[in-house]
Amino acid sequence: MAQIEQSDGGKKKKGAQKKMAIHVDFTPMVDMNMLLITFFMLCTTMIKSQTLSIALPTNEKLQQEELQKAKESEAITLILDTTYDERGAIKDNTVYYYAGKPETEFNGQDLVSSNIQVAHFEGNDGAILKGIRKILHDRNQDVLDKVEEQKDRWRRKEITEDQFQAEAKKIRNDEKLTRPVVIIKPMEGASWESVIAALDEMQINQISRYQIGSLTDTDKAMVFATPDFKKAHGNEQK
Amino acid sequence: MGKVKIKRKSTLIDMTAMSDVTVLLLTFFMLTSTFLQKEPVTVITPSSVSEIKVPTANVVNVLVSPKGQIFLSVSGDADADNAEQWGSEPLRKEVLKTAAANYEKYTGKKLGITAMDIEKFAKNASFGVPLEKMHEFLSLDQTKQDEWLGNPDRADVGIPLKDINYVDQNGTPLATNEFQIWMRAIYSSSNPNIHDAIQKGEGIAVKADRGTKFETIHPVLDNLQTIKMNKFSVMTALKTEAD
Repeated sequence: MAQIEQSDGGKKKKGAQKKMAIHVDFTPMVDMNMLLITFFMLCTTMIKSQTLSIALPTNEKLQQEELQKAKESEAITLILDTTYDERGAIKDNTVYYYAGKPETEFNGQDLVSSNIQVAHFEGNDGAILKGIRKILHDRNQDVLDKVEEQKDRWRRKEITEDQFQAEAKKIRNDEKLTRPVVIIKPMEGASWESVIAALDEMQINQISRYQIGSLTDTDKAMVFATPDFKKAHGNEQK
Repeated sequence: MGKVKIKRKSTLIDMTAMSDVTVLLLTFFMLTSTFLQKEPVTVITPSSVSEIKVPTANVVNVLVSPKGQIFLSVSGDADADNAEQWGSEPLRKEVLKTAAANYEKYTGKKLGITAMDIEKFAKNASFGVPLEKMHEFLSLDQTKQDEWLGNPDRADVGIPLKDINYVDQNGTPLATNEFQIWMRAIYSSSNPNIHDAIQKGEGIAVKADRGTKFETIHPVLDNLQTIKMNKFSVMTALKTEAD
């Protein structure tokens, strides 16, 4: 391959040298290319980061209070907590949640019972939803059903993707549907990952109304009293 | 028994095919990958199902290290037509001038940032030292700067969120901080595209490690809310819905 056949045009001259093959050695070329490949592999990245857009309410007090008054029947509060192992790596992200107002029952100083429940970020197994996703999905059933309808139309190529996105947006913000208001309250130790996971669930479940709030004393008391929290943080406190 | 004649074979291996393969690989890597951005700290972003790509032009990256240090990096318009005016370098120069001027106005301190410093500042992709130390930082060479940012014992790494109290023209006491000064300087720059991008929520990208505690990142989000930049994006890696 890397040789050039020298032809003498068919004419045989007297004293002509015999045919010679010129070999070009490609080894240094390969060496150099390999070096360049190594350089590109080490200095570049194939992964392009994605972004997740979030909109937080403004810090103005008035608006915050108004949001607090959001219909309590529709509200669901997620309290995020994370446990870490000895090396500081995330062991588990836990979600404590309650619907509507916190309901607590005290016996003196001790919290006896409350309406708080525990879930995890588990994703889904095929069509079976698990963990917190199922809970949010069930609460936003109306919106999700309608979006699914539009998605079917898109799949059947009746509408374009842009039209579908516009329709989905309209449905997400439809006042007439029962839509949950999710308040995400990360605990002090909650990891960034758990916050993003919670925001992600909002996207997956097409929830348009959510906010990041801060914990109240009642919230804390409720979480601290759960057996799951005691189990997860028992060792740290000792 | 006749003698077996061993034919002499040439040991030359034809490398042409090999060379072809390597060139192809090289082309592939050159075309598909992007260069790693030099960042003061390496973070692993959490994953999300969101598929929106990170914009490369007209964006402010807010990098929060696991210790809560804040680094900013500003990119201007990538459009070659107006690179002179709105490109990354003129934008960074303008931002530093505005931020320094505002800081001097609020605190009454002189920063002593020279024209040389501004030139050097425009070349750096990301920055994260208190404004007071900016002149000192910029007068160092590249390796010394990296050492400064990488030194875990230094307290003057990252943009401070410490309150700066000042009184406005009407005599009302107000508080701001360096992070807000920077963000406002970027927002009010003469490049209208970055202004629009921030308003749409595409112009700010917050990046933090997945294991960083929320209490570390919360002050940053809180400050963004205070200056009414409450729409922004967070950097994530891609995952599927099933995870």
